[in-house]
Amino acid sequence: MKRTITLSNRIDELTRISSFLKKCADQWGIPAPVTLSLNLVMEEAFTNVVQYAYSDNHDHEIDLIIKKKDNELEITFIDDGKQYDPTGEKDPDINLSANDRPIGGLGVFLIKKTMDNVSYFRKDNKNHLVMVKKL
Amino acid sequence: MEINVLQYKDYTSVSIQGRVDTMTAGDFENRLMEILGDGVTKLLLDCSDLTYISSSGLRVFLVAQKKILATGGILRICCLKPEIKDIFDISGFSVIFSIFSDVEKATSD
Repeated sequence: MKRTITLSNRIDELTRISSFLKKCADQWGIPAPVTLSLNLVMEEAFTNVVQYAYSDNHDHEIDLIIKKKDNELEITFIDDGKQYDPTGEKDPDINLSANDRPIGGLGVFLIKKTMDNVSYFRKDNKNHLVMVKKL
Repeated sequence: MEINVLQYKDYTSVSIQGRVDTMTAGDFENRLMEILGDGVTKLLLDCSDLTYISSSGLRVFLVAQKKILATGGILRICCLKPEIKDIFDISGFSVIFSIFSDVEKATSD
């Protein structure tokens, strides 16, 4: 099973992402806690694209694809922004005290920790971020 | 996201309702900074009705903690839902915040 939604590069599209996910989750019987963590992953991935992928002020389309297989869910974001491989980001040091903890840098880490597999490739001048969660 | 502020014992209690995400985190940060700007030294963040948080929301928690530590104040968190607590655990935030299971324990001293 596969569902696709095309989003604009605007932060308020997060509302559409949530309702799109909820619809898929209801249809496919995905438990609420899993849906919440998938919502988190989608927000982090999408926000990164909107905030950092584009240096122009034009509208861009970002595709979000959810595939349900037997025992896993696959979430893919495809954007035409500048080349960026989030899987190469260094993990933050989560043992630091509050004073020493830098502000930010948690988004990609939350994605990696929540999902079972995260991969990236560039094809036809587009970024593909593929994130898999075992059910 | 909605915020309700009340005084409980020595603490200024901020109850956070709904979602703290990229869209609402800015508003949340402004409200918290206003409260801290008023000279609050004992702050309780009551998360009983916090249903969702992303890295944008976690960022605001950390900013508040840094700010209150710098003034010698105390920030406590209570009543995290299990799925929200998971996100705090993953982020290492459970170590840098004092987290309590209920309001009474959080404000007992």
